[in-house]
Amino acid sequence: MTPREETIAVGPTRVEVLIGGAGDPLLVLHGAGGNRGWLRWMDAVAERHTIYAPTHPGFGRSDAADWMEGIDDLARFYLWFLDVMGLPRVHLLGHSIGGWTAAEMATMRPDVLDRLVLVAPTGLKPESGEILDIFYYPPEELFPLTVFDAATIPERERLFGRRPTPEEAEIALRNREMTARLTWKPYMFNPRLPHFLPRVTAPTLVLWGREDRIVPVICGEQYRRLLPNATLRVLDRCGHMPPVEQPDRFAELVLDFLRGGPA
Amino acid sequence: MKLYYFSEMPHHEYPDAEGDKYPSLRLAFPNTFFSPEIAQRNYQRYLDEYDAADQAGFDGLMINEHHSTPSCVNVSANMTAGILARTTRKAKLLILGNILPIQDNPVQMAEQVAMADLISGGRVLSGFVRGVGVESWWANTNPIHNRERFEECHDLIIKCWTTPGPFRWEGKHYHFRHVNPWCLPLQKPHPPIWVPGTASPETAVWAGRMGYTYVPFLVSFEVARELFDFYRQGAAEAGRTVTEDKLGFLICAVTADTKARALEAGRHFVWRMGPTLRGPAEYFSPVGMRSREASRFALKARSISLSKMSYEELVESYYIVAGTPDEVVERFARVRRELGIGHLLLEAQESRMDHTTTMRSIDLMGKSVIPAMARI
Repeated sequence: MTPREETIAVGPTRVEVLIGGAGDPLLVLHGAGGNRGWLRWMDAVAERHTIYAPTHPGFGRSDAADWMEGIDDLARFYLWFLDVMGLPRVHLLGHSIGGWTAAEMATMRPDVLDRLVLVAPTGLKPESGEILDIFYYPPEELFPLTVFDAATIPERERLFGRRPTPEEAEIALRNREMTARLTWKPYMFNPRLPHFLPRVTAPTLVLWGREDRIVPVICGEQYRRLLPNATLRVLDRCGHMPPVEQPDRFAELVLDFLRGGPA
Repeated sequence: MKLYYFSEMPHHEYPDAEGDKYPSLRLAFPNTFFSPEIAQRNYQRYLDEYDAADQAGFDGLMINEHHSTPSCVNVSANMTAGILARTTRKAKLLILGNILPIQDNPVQMAEQVAMADLISGGRVLSGFVRGVGVESWWANTNPIHNRERFEECHDLIIKCWTTPGPFRWEGKHYHFRHVNPWCLPLQKPHPPIWVPGTASPETAVWAGRMGYTYVPFLVSFEVARELFDFYRQGAAEAGRTVTEDKLGFLICAVTADTKARALEAGRHFVWRMGPTLRGPAEYFSPVGMRSREASRFALKARSISLSKMSYEELVESYYIVAGTPDEVVERFARVRRELGIGHLLLEAQESRMDHTTTMRSIDLMGKSVIPAMARI
């Protein structure tokens, strides 16, 4: 299906939003790599849900937000976004730093949340191991670490199959800069988040790739333990990008869970 | 033209093949190759050489600071300035410089520079730098904020030196409720400020606007002239006239009794140009540290990486000057003619350049080169 693109002003900050599908609203928050557009998994999920996939401030073609200092600012921003969109209650799905943002939103306003899907979220300090320092690596070295096997990505050609245009390269740099702004120190986690997660009673699905070399799977265990109503699903032969590495399996798991299946 | 002696206090006493195994000598090369015994001797040696440079008549002694690298184990420019403030008599102490964006306490920085200025009898030239990206990693300071922090840290230091306390500072990056340093510089209104540059047009414009002395480091004449143009643009905006006293340049230099010996000694600088600058772009320029304009300029300024140039090319292009005193005078005079500068900073030492060679170079500079340059 073809989503529509809208520019939404949240206060003075305008963000680009992809909207598509029909049904209960699902807000989708992207990771550090930016909004990759309408993805294959979204086609399947949009049959039952209206997907709202905004591009974070400072990313892509959304307005800058140089005043932001952390992911908690982004979380407050998206709670405001829901007000602007007239969405009093949503399902919320976030990937990587988008997952961290979703977790922060859930701790701030549990009442706006129907069901929560956290996909390899950052946000917690791993009990063992480290979150990979993505700023320490050239982007071309980072990509192979991000996925289990690039050759098996169904949308590989469309997403990663050619050299970026100058405009795409500029956007990639902008995405990286805004990620640095939001996550530099403490690197990729909020030491206060674990103290607030028990507030989130919404059914939560925590999804992880077993071969994630960016955020250790143990963080998934930590989220599961701290969230009162959460289940952890770990996908085999999958790295840090379940939504593009295994889009069909991912869509199926998300649909089942949002349909009211057990967390 | 004034001459400045500069030792980067390297620690090159390890097998080069070991360093080659790592992505970079900075950040990645393990400090298990740091030898406290050798460093102890080196520090004594380097400080003795600074003292000798003062006695030889250098106009100034340049001191810098880096971290997590064998290329420079001077980890505190102000500490070295404090030592030299006591052991030297005449030379200016050019701290070039304190790395402002990674500082969490500009008030303490203002105090330390003031203390060095007091102990030295008002000889400090206070340089402020943004640092290479390695320093942002070392301090874990967000490189996105590098320029903002540089300017705010600078503003607070200047205010410490020029505004009676107590006062409050509530900035974007720095917050102090009771600023009232009981240590103020001897020089009024404050020590002269110097700023180096390698690639950032914004820094050149800013330095020009502020009227600070601006010094490009190890760039071609062509790039230096472009950076000076940016500097003049900033100066013009502020209605300032640019004199040669506001412009400097940094190169590597050594002299010896014969050309052959000088060229042999000068070869040691190749390590500084090549291996110590090797590494991923992310180490030297982490995300957000450079503006788009500075990135474009850096590509142009470093179209040929120093590490790719042969020793002969580095000598030919004036990154390194090595010769007899007469030859060195001639080449320094050419630098001055090319750039119209008032200050020439000489990186004049490398740890594998032995003490005897270094001291002979300092001695010959004092006897022949410094007097000749003073007349030019």
